[in-house]
Amino acid sequence: MSAIKPVLTKGIGELNLRDLEVYRSEGGYVQFERALKELTPAAVLDMTTRSGLRGRGGAGFPTGKKWSFLPNDGRPRYMVCNCDEAEPGTFKDHMLLEETPHQVLEGILLGAYGIGSHHAFIYIRGEFRRGYEIFRAALDQARAAGYVGSNLFGTGYDLELTIHRGAGAYICGEETALLNSLEGKRGEPRLKPPFPALQGLYQMPTVVNNVETLASLPHILRNGPEWFAQVGPERSPGYKIVSISGHVKRPGNYEVALGTSMRTLIDECAGGMRDGRKFMAVQPGGASSACLFEEHLDLSYDFDTIAKAGSMIGSGAMVVFDDTTDFVKAAHAVVRFFAHESCGQCTPCREGGNWISRTLTRILDGRGVPSDIEVLKSAGHQMTGLNLCALGDSVEPFLASVLHRFEDQFRAYVTAPQAAVA
Amino acid sequence: MTMASEVHLKIDGIAVTVPTGTLLVEAAKQAQKHIPVYCYHEKLGPAGLCRVCLVEVEGMPKLQIGCNTVATEGMVVHTQNAKVDDGRRAILEFLLLNHPLDCPICDKGGECDLQDYVMAYGQDSSRVIDGKESKPKAVDLGPTIVLDEERCIVCQRCVRFDELITHERSLVVKDRGAHDIIATATDQPYVSQFSGNVTELCPVGALTSKTYRFLSRKWDNHRAVGSCAQCSVGCGINVDVRQGAITRTMSIPEDVTSDGWLCDRGRYVISFGDDQRRLRTPLYRHREQLVQVTWDDAIGLWAQALQASASPQRVAALGGGRLMNAEILQLQALFRSFGTPHLDWRVGRSQQAGAGRATASLAELDRAQAIIVVGVPPSQSAPVLDLAIRKAVFRHKAQLISVGPFGAGSSVPQQRAARIDEVAGLLPDGTERIVFVWDGIDPQLGREIANLRTQWSTHGRSAGVLVATTLSNAWGAEALGMHPSFGPGYQPLASSGLDTAGIFAAGRAGELDVLSFHGANPVLTWHDASIVREALARIPFVVATDLFLTQTSELATLVLPVASAFERNGTMTNLFGQARPIEAGLPVPDGALSDSEVLVALAQALKIALPDAASLTSLEERALEAARIAPLDCGAEQLAGRRLAPDRPGLQLALAANVFAGGGTTAHDTRIEALRPLPTATLEPATAQRLGFVAGTLVDLHAGAASVKNLTLRLDASLAPDTIALVADLPQAPANLLFGSEPLRLEATRVLEEVAA
Repeated sequence: MSAIKPVLTKGIGELNLRDLEVYRSEGGYVQFERALKELTPAAVLDMTTRSGLRGRGGAGFPTGKKWSFLPNDGRPRYMVCNCDEAEPGTFKDHMLLEETPHQVLEGILLGAYGIGSHHAFIYIRGEFRRGYEIFRAALDQARAAGYVGSNLFGTGYDLELTIHRGAGAYICGEETALLNSLEGKRGEPRLKPPFPALQGLYQMPTVVNNVETLASLPHILRNGPEWFAQVGPERSPGYKIVSISGHVKRPGNYEVALGTSMRTLIDECAGGMRDGRKFMAVQPGGASSACLFEEHLDLSYDFDTIAKAGSMIGSGAMVVFDDTTDFVKAAHAVVRFFAHESCGQCTPCREGGNWISRTLTRILDGRGVPSDIEVLKSAGHQMTGLNLCALGDSVEPFLASVLHRFEDQFRAYVTAPQAAVA
Repeated sequence: MTMASEVHLKIDGIAVTVPTGTLLVEAAKQAQKHIPVYCYHEKLGPAGLCRVCLVEVEGMPKLQIGCNTVATEGMVVHTQNAKVDDGRRAILEFLLLNHPLDCPICDKGGECDLQDYVMAYGQDSSRVIDGKESKPKAVDLGPTIVLDEERCIVCQRCVRFDELITHERSLVVKDRGAHDIIATATDQPYVSQFSGNVTELCPVGALTSKTYRFLSRKWDNHRAVGSCAQCSVGCGINVDVRQGAITRTMSIPEDVTSDGWLCDRGRYVISFGDDQRRLRTPLYRHREQLVQVTWDDAIGLWAQALQASASPQRVAALGGGRLMNAEILQLQALFRSFGTPHLDWRVGRSQQAGAGRATASLAELDRAQAIIVVGVPPSQSAPVLDLAIRKAVFRHKAQLISVGPFGAGSSVPQQRAARIDEVAGLLPDGTERIVFVWDGIDPQLGREIANLRTQWSTHGRSAGVLVATTLSNAWGAEALGMHPSFGPGYQPLASSGLDTAGIFAAGRAGELDVLSFHGANPVLTWHDASIVREALARIPFVVATDLFLTQTSELATLVLPVASAFERNGTMTNLFGQARPIEAGLPVPDGALSDSEVLVALAQALKIALPDAASLTSLEERALEAARIAPLDCGAEQLAGRRLAPDRPGLQLALAANVFAGGGTTAHDTRIEALRPLPTATLEPATAQRLGFVAGTLVDLHAGAASVKNLTLRLDASLAPDTIALVADLPQAPANLLFGSEPLRLEATRVLEEVAA
């Protein structure tokens, strides 16, 4: 039996799911209509909680619990869909947006209803122009069909949706930076507390959920929360799209039950390593995750197991490295990315990332010195845990994990610089 | 469940009790423990950016920032241990990575938080071998501020000051990551009345005042504590002096009057004292020329003129609003002892009524539900008061209403009313606490304010009044007796003397022999220049005590050089009626005397006994106490019959204020050249269109035979229609030449025409 379990990805590549009628023929919007007509928002929240769904954007926070933090104080509430997918190695939301825009839309509408919001937003990464156009067309269809607007299905429930396009900053995927950007401000994370649940968009109670998280909702409603909860590990249940890239034969998005082993994901889903090449390392959760190695491959791919092994599944992006990899260059690519994307407002991230990036640049230029190894270790370590948001804490994990494992590669550059460069 | 009002916690083993909601940075002060901060500031709140305020809270795995962690019951906090020290050391190492370490040439050296914290908590060596990121140096941010982007640690205090305190939002962070820089949002110059405050907020040497760059070091400055004499607010200031010259003034953070902020006029108008034009010897008019005389001769001539006068009724004294409290008491005592009833401090158009009877405190302004600005906005007469208004509006949601042709400052949302009787309709039910901020110009408006107060008091509404002017001790001058109807403390007099208008009228009629001005320049500041000039031409002996030859003192018979507010000890009364001590930062310059010394010398020559120092002090205290409960005076009884705004057909003249206008200290300070206003005329856009003028045109404005020329035309949609606004008290374009009922004519300035070849 194949490890691949298409739920959110069902029909992709076979059906034109961008078309409203095709999506409807697959059962689309039935759950939204049912929710509005038959379920209270509290019932939708309850089903979400019971499904055990955890956020698919990276942090893995239980979705139902996140919703339940909203205060009942009569203020307007906002549902914001985070489609600013930009973590190197992650490309699942991109696909969902372009291939199944109605599923994403229905998820947002269900989420909004579940928290009692009458205005939802989707923040689409600026580079996803095609996805934006496809989603906008889907929104137009859905609005014409009466799924968005006022007095939906005659229930008296109003629900509006605003599309906002980002302007090209990775940091805007961080939920409070996203809210600032959405408000037209500079995209930098906010100081917390207060958290978005209390003071989010325009200072109102707000939930920010990932695309895949929300797109899971129609399926949870259709099949029942137990159906979702019983798949995979108890505390990390459900289906998950894993973006596999790197030195594998068939990179791509693969939807599996959480708990599938990484070895299965690499060998079975992605077709294994390139011919004649040996597995060396994998980042299980995108650029900000620490590498895991051969000895970890049989671990269950789920939030808690991978966290226990010292890494994270993040948004579900496995980057696989074989024995051709120069881990100094790989570390440089990762660190340079985070240094470049730092918003610069807090000290460790602004200064530390730049320092490490410049050091690695010099090492790769053949001008490294032995003391650089110590700087790489300690600077990475001392900038972690002191930052305003998670970006600054994302520099160390990959660097430290490969430096620990492949220190000889780094040493080769700084002890016999010219030889290593050649 | 009710929240406990206090929580108990331990900081470094010391038990402290703080109010619920207290941040750890503040709680630590109680335990006398220092938590270093850069981005946090008491008045700006936490930002969580610099991360230097790390502390360990037991039970929390990661270090926490003291600036945004609220003290909770039973919390155990460590501000110093190996883990905290390591975190702080890391932050300071990061901050120095790209910092130029140019401390030897940095103005902040010696008072720099980066220097201090690195010494206290940092490491003594650098691990950087890649060189430093270079960024723009000596960026000209605007007329007052220079920015060194390399020294900047991006704490954003300046940006947040501009957002949270002034609400002007012109400073921003640009670019990102290690390339972050501070800039203005529009790349336009950073222009704000409060720009200098960012140099004090800046914890490093990134933002510096142009007037202080490379001028001195903290340890070379001698500091005197004073009170700003540039407007009626009376902010507390620290005056730094080096080698006999003022290098800078700084705010006093805990000063209640100013809330710890200064405006740029108060901060930057400091160099007039050593201007070459400063008077250094008495001058006497001999054969139409002012010639130097000795002090003995000068006082002798003055005493002689007074004694030669047929009656004390033919003698008058004006001014006093720039003097110290004790000097005002001496001034009025001297002339009253001499038998002169004609005393008045109200020598400017904006000083004509009621300044001495503030009936609102700063706390009342802060808590007001509605603030009603009548006339000239305080942003242009008493700027720090405008900051207090912005705070009340933005932080405490006070409603702001402006009455008259001008809006009350552009950064504040407000309602507009053309007349005072429209105000009541704009106040929602339940508005009980109201404060008027009045420019004191039009007595008719003052009467209307007084009437409203009486009417409202029966409806449970309380309304205080603050009279904001540019005159530093207006409050003191009136409360201490420089008034034709009242002695010190509003003691009613048996019979009133002439007020300023009456004095000028008497002068024109040839009924005065001696008139003295005590720090007054009515030729520029009185609403009608021609009346003053005519009076001066007919009065045989005119005395002026001043720092400079001004538009008025240059016409005097006897000019006496006196000391500035930086050069004498004493007290002045602030906008809220409190006496504020002033410590002399500088000695009285050679050749000049303080006003007090001048008055004592004159009294001796006249054989008049002045009150001694002890009785002056007790008189001052009693008078100010009595003044606090005196009713609002609108000047009605004295000013009746004189119309401030004459009936004039067509275009109406409005006088705008500018804090850097004036013919005295601001005109004689060469280091604020860039801040002085250019002569402009302002029209509302539709009116300009109707009259056929476009912005930027050079225009002349005529009224009868008088004209003010070379005004650059500006457009301002917030101005009332059919009104032309000129900046008042501008020496090169005196708007008070145009007073009268003659219609105003606006014409394009004739420039030299090209000669055809």
